[in-house]
Amino acid sequence: MQNKTQRLRFISLLVLVAFILTGSILITPGYAQQPTEGYFISGQLLDPQDQPINEAFVSAALPQDTEPMAETESQEDGTWVLVFANLPQEEINITFERPHFQTTTITVRESELIELSDAGIYRVGTLVLERKIDASFWIATLVFLAVLLVIALELLHSTTAALAGFSAVFLVSYVGGAFDPDLFIMSFETGLSYINWDVIFLVMGMMIIIAVIENTGIFQWLAFQAYRLSGGRGWLLVLILMAITAVASALLDNFTTMLLMTPISLQIALALSINPLAFIIPEVLASNVGGISTLVGTPTNILIGAYAGIGFNDFLVNQTVGVIIALVAMGAYVLFHYRKELRTSAGGISPKLYERLEANAEIEDTSALWKSIVVFVLVMVGFVLGEQIHLELAVTAITGAVILLIWLKPDVHGMIKAVDWTTLVFFMALFVVVGAIQEVGLLSIAADRMARLIGENLALGVFVIVFGVGTVSTVIANIPLAASMLPIVEFLSGSIPGASNKVLYYALSMGAAMGGNGTLIGGEANLVTAGITEQADNPISFKSFARVGLPVTYITLSVGLIWLLIRF
Amino acid sequence: MTNTLLCPTRGGEASYPNQDQAIQMAKERDAHLIFLYVSNVHFLDLIAAPKVFDIEAELDEMGEFLLVMAQERAAKAGVKADTIVRRGEFRETLKEVIDEYKVTTVVLGAAGKETGRLTQDYIDTLSQELCSETGAEFIVVHQGEIVKFCTP
Repeated sequence: MQNKTQRLRFISLLVLVAFILTGSILITPGYAQQPTEGYFISGQLLDPQDQPINEAFVSAALPQDTEPMAETESQEDGTWVLVFANLPQEEINITFERPHFQTTTITVRESELIELSDAGIYRVGTLVLERKIDASFWIATLVFLAVLLVIALELLHSTTAALAGFSAVFLVSYVGGAFDPDLFIMSFETGLSYINWDVIFLVMGMMIIIAVIENTGIFQWLAFQAYRLSGGRGWLLVLILMAITAVASALLDNFTTMLLMTPISLQIALALSINPLAFIIPEVLASNVGGISTLVGTPTNILIGAYAGIGFNDFLVNQTVGVIIALVAMGAYVLFHYRKELRTSAGGISPKLYERLEANAEIEDTSALWKSIVVFVLVMVGFVLGEQIHLELAVTAITGAVILLIWLKPDVHGMIKAVDWTTLVFFMALFVVVGAIQEVGLLSIAADRMARLIGENLALGVFVIVFGVGTVSTVIANIPLAASMLPIVEFLSGSIPGASNKVLYYALSMGAAMGGNGTLIGGEANLVTAGITEQADNPISFKSFARVGLPVTYITLSVGLIWLLIRF
Repeated sequence: MTNTLLCPTRGGEASYPNQDQAIQMAKERDAHLIFLYVSNVHFLDLIAAPKVFDIEAELDEMGEFLLVMAQERAAKAGVKADTIVRRGEFRETLKEVIDEYKVTTVVLGAAGKETGRLTQDYIDTLSQELCSETGAEFIVVHQGEIVKFCTP
């Protein structure tokens, strides 16, 4: 009975595999039905920033006719092909229509039709469509600004704010667009195409891996060892804690690192009678900067890497030295800033408190720790080596997560719950909202203005991105900011001579992350740290954070700028 | 009947004067002293970032540690104290603990630095309301000084 069931399962599996293979062969471009007979007129559509325009409606008609002879849509690369069954006998008008662009008509004259008759194909060449600023432009802009404002003022949960923006974009497009075509922002399908699934799956895989590693208690143990190593000397302890948070943030993520490091750091500080903020604020500053050196260290790096095709190795090679120098400069500044608080004598913890600290810092499951470290190292190696075979980071991360799930056999429900769906939904909704302002042309206009400001001066470009984004990031959530800056940086990388080495993307990475240190509301890690310290009656005020955060921001931004100018 | 004195605290340096006041009162009244720490993770509600592990468990450990420090302060003054760590809304949790432990006196202090909802006004109103709801005596202290009494 059992054999029969197994055989049935096997046959079903074979049928499924055959079905999938057949389907994938049929949808492979080479097997798609191509028109082989007729006359073809082709061309390419670009926007004023030389970016291809897709989904434009292209139609050809005789001047006196309203009925089109042929029609098509432009593709991802902006190309379009009109197919005529019969050769047009007189000149024809080709009209290009797309929301947010001026409707444009060109005429193919009889003399050009002779070429079409001879060769069977006539290439119109590249055509630039001018942008149109209509009601949808202003609505999409307002929706984006409203989302930023609601997040900055904490009026709603970030995910709720992004989802509200998401639904506003489509409601206006479909309901408003039914009354006035100028209100149409983009179709639902177009909106979904802006979601970067590489980012979603990479973040998901990393969340599962992090959940396993961090539940082992490794960070609490490290913080306690830092205390032992420092012998209770405040200045040394803060430097070690900063180093731990910076490295942990680079390899995992800074938000989770601070969630784990803050409670134990707070306990150590209170036990030593040191103001806990003298430990914790430097730690959060280091966590925001430490993450810059790897692709998985900050959400903004994940976005940048996926958008610009910058790999794990590229971040490591091009950012790490700059980040280390920035951390050293930061360490020197915080030692100066907190010199009074950190001036303590060695020792000072009672045996009972020491015992308690030691208990809180115990590794909960040594076997799980070793297994998760092995898998984590393999994932990192996979990130580094996978680039040689174009293996997507998301695939490596998900594979690592699956290995952990199989090897450690944790409660799968618990692990799947560990995936923070609110964050993933936030990313998805945010991609669509940013896609809306890209669609209506706001980002193209911004890119154009920035290009005029910067001209052909690459050093000025790096300076503007590092300090401009860094300054705005002090008050605006850096994830939406980085997401909206990506198309602008892409345009600038193409228009500024010498910027094709992607230096401007690295500038964006540094600006967005280092700027998050400026104020308490600059980064999610800052806010969660303040939330925890408030639970122990040590609130971090906006002022007390900015007093150390702002100088550190501009010190590290300066170091980052100098490093990028030297490196590139 | 043994007097039970409850001192809710968040354990930081700013809470020390209020803890000392509670310890002093427990000593004078020969009361059973309990320190209470209530953790609340509502600060995570507005943040979209991965929360991949049990932060509440971390806060419980932090709370236990802070209360061990309070316990040590009491021990130095010759007073034995117990500790309770709970999760949830402060008002409801406080009421639950008062009922559960048959608390006779609550020493409630506004934080040295007023943050979030725990302002002096909030503490005043809360003490008045809970005093009539639970029948426990409430003593409001600020920076170690008694600023308000509320007897049922």
